[in-house]
Amino acid sequence: MPATDIAITGLGAISACGNNLQETLQNFSNGKRNGGPVTLFQSNLDYPVFQVNNLPHCTSKIMRSLSLTFAAANQAICNAGLEEGFGNLRVGICLGTTVASQLNDTDFYRQYRESGHAPMGSVDRYLNSNLAQALSKFLNIQTHLCTTIVNACSSGTDAIGVGLSWLRNDYCDLVIAGGADELNRVPLDGFGSLSVVSKSLCAPFDRNRAGLNLGEGSGIIILEKKSVSLKRGRNPELFLKGYGLAADAYHLTAPRPDGSGLEQALIQALNEARIGPGDISFINAHGTATKDNDLVEARVLARVFGPKVKFLSTKGFTGHTLGAAGGLEAVFTCLGLCNGWIPASPGFKDLDPEIGIAPVDQKTQISGKYAVSTSLAFGGNNSALIIAKN
Amino acid sequence: MYIAGMGVVFNRGRGLASLENALIQGWVKPNEFAYRVPQETLTDKQVLKEARRADSFTKMATLAAYDALADSNIPQETRAKVGIILATAFGPQVTTFNFLDDILTYGDAGVSPTIFSHSVHNAAASYIALNLQTRGPTLTMTQFADSFRQAVILAESWLSEKRCEYILVGTADQTGKVMEYICSQKLKIAPDGLIKPFNCAKEPEAIPAEGSAFFLMTNHENYNQYCSISALPVDNREKADLYILDSDGMCGSEEGYLRIANSHSPVAAYAPILGSMLTLSSFSCAIGALMLKNGKLYPSPVRDNPHQMNILEANPTLPIHKIDCLRYNCNQEEQLIRLRKEGA
Repeated sequence: MPATDIAITGLGAISACGNNLQETLQNFSNGKRNGGPVTLFQSNLDYPVFQVNNLPHCTSKIMRSLSLTFAAANQAICNAGLEEGFGNLRVGICLGTTVASQLNDTDFYRQYRESGHAPMGSVDRYLNSNLAQALSKFLNIQTHLCTTIVNACSSGTDAIGVGLSWLRNDYCDLVIAGGADELNRVPLDGFGSLSVVSKSLCAPFDRNRAGLNLGEGSGIIILEKKSVSLKRGRNPELFLKGYGLAADAYHLTAPRPDGSGLEQALIQALNEARIGPGDISFINAHGTATKDNDLVEARVLARVFGPKVKFLSTKGFTGHTLGAAGGLEAVFTCLGLCNGWIPASPGFKDLDPEIGIAPVDQKTQISGKYAVSTSLAFGGNNSALIIAKN
Repeated sequence: MYIAGMGVVFNRGRGLASLENALIQGWVKPNEFAYRVPQETLTDKQVLKEARRADSFTKMATLAAYDALADSNIPQETRAKVGIILATAFGPQVTTFNFLDDILTYGDAGVSPTIFSHSVHNAAASYIALNLQTRGPTLTMTQFADSFRQAVILAESWLSEKRCEYILVGTADQTGKVMEYICSQKLKIAPDGLIKPFNCAKEPEAIPAEGSAFFLMTNHENYNQYCSISALPVDNREKADLYILDSDGMCGSEEGYLRIANSHSPVAAYAPILGSMLTLSSFSCAIGALMLKNGKLYPSPVRDNPHQMNILEANPTLPIHKIDCLRYNCNQEEQLIRLRKEGA
């Protein structure tokens, strides 16, 4: 496979931390956390969540996940200077999600259960909300590369990795990649039943962490061959250099205790980027704030990158946005490299002696060229991206 | 990319022998207007030892994937690095509705964690990895009618990048009471239970179905047991020797297939045996691969032919080396997967 430089030329993000990149950076800098009670639907559960306010494109005809997608995609497209369209470029679309792939509409199901009949509006909304397909229609893009990844919490990262593969194989010139997920009653109840949701704001990697908070959002990046972006008159600064993906083959909901799946994914990504662990300036970790995830993940980070590695979890700003998380965190990793700083890992106070290493606890200057974003998912999927700044 | 092994689970059983038997036997009327996989098909305790608590969706996929790997002769030492790509239109939707049942019956705080964790789309791929102890890249994707073709494209990409050397690529979709109700509202259900794939109807008839088909794919030609497979677009289309049509009533108007009728190309279709599934193309590929391997043609089970299509006879005189599995989606876009016999 000939080496092809794959540039990141556009970024878009919407989450409880901000409806665009500027708001996000401001909240990162101030350490502001917008978690609070759920108001999007009725719930008897008393868990704080991270909701998006003032969501554009929001109508009852499409799922909220799709409105989030449109918002982030519009930002990324404008950021890449593609507002006027894609011209003759061969475009692929690859997006990750969890909620938008399921017809988990309790009102629809209640009516069906009670009477054996239910109106098809919910079904139509679901069928119209396959993220990749709907975005291709929204942007009027004709493409044979249009895929929605449903790899649970690593979906967004894997969607970006799939985009990288398409470009390296010259299947297309440019890919719109990332993830989106809405806050929904089903995962809130489901994660609650697994006893992994915190009743207070989450504290990733902290000794007293008590579980995750759910959130919603979308993070989308524009990937394109460097040669294509240069022809468009852009001079890209950011590059996607490597992607690793490996299975635990261990348990449906718990990570493999030795973390070997994540380690394999990281090493694969580093090898693809042709760099070593010492080249990494910081890691945007998955860091859900569950006991198991943070313990396994941090131990692997220490093992691969050494005990002094700079890392953080941004889930204290966004909540766990499931299929969107990988997309959002790839965008946040790009922002860290571009701006030369990463925020304090929100919620962290005390070192967990079992973990042995601590995330950054204050706004931290970054000087290196490479950064990592990791995702761990239900079912034992482990994914890692290597992003570089020129 | 070559097919080194195959496995299937469908309404008449498990395995390639069951599929061949069904193809020879022909159409059988469905029960209750759906082709469901019999529960006794999903009871292999040895293969499903790690999936005892799993749902039917996962069990179908696990068995089909296991059989595809077992059907291949790839080296034992490479099996731990096999990749997995599972494509599904609707995922484990029966389990999703079971979880909604839990919410409505027991409230937000009374739901089952087991049902929730099995309602996630990638549960099946995770069980396959767990059961087979494969640690390679593992991914689940969904794209409604285009799911399998997208999975094949990604498999070609991964093999080309050497992300892995062998990949289990497959589909799984299931039916159930709620899905069958939705189908009855959104589709025209065949009143006689018979899908008529050559009618090219504006409002075609469907019979909801379920099943799983898996393929062990590789770029190593020496492990090719069936044929090559590719889903990448062909600019200057070579005509195929045979077109297998996925006209099963699931994607609205099937008038697009008239293009094939007008070209007088030989055609076949097997939806009347398998039922209607947005991931039917994986089964069409499995049947096409069997034909190319065995050098024999399976007759189309239903031969209603109002447009005088060139429906292939069971023992044709023309050689079959290239087969295109063809689906027109709900937007009338053509989706094509090509199978090619070695040397063709």
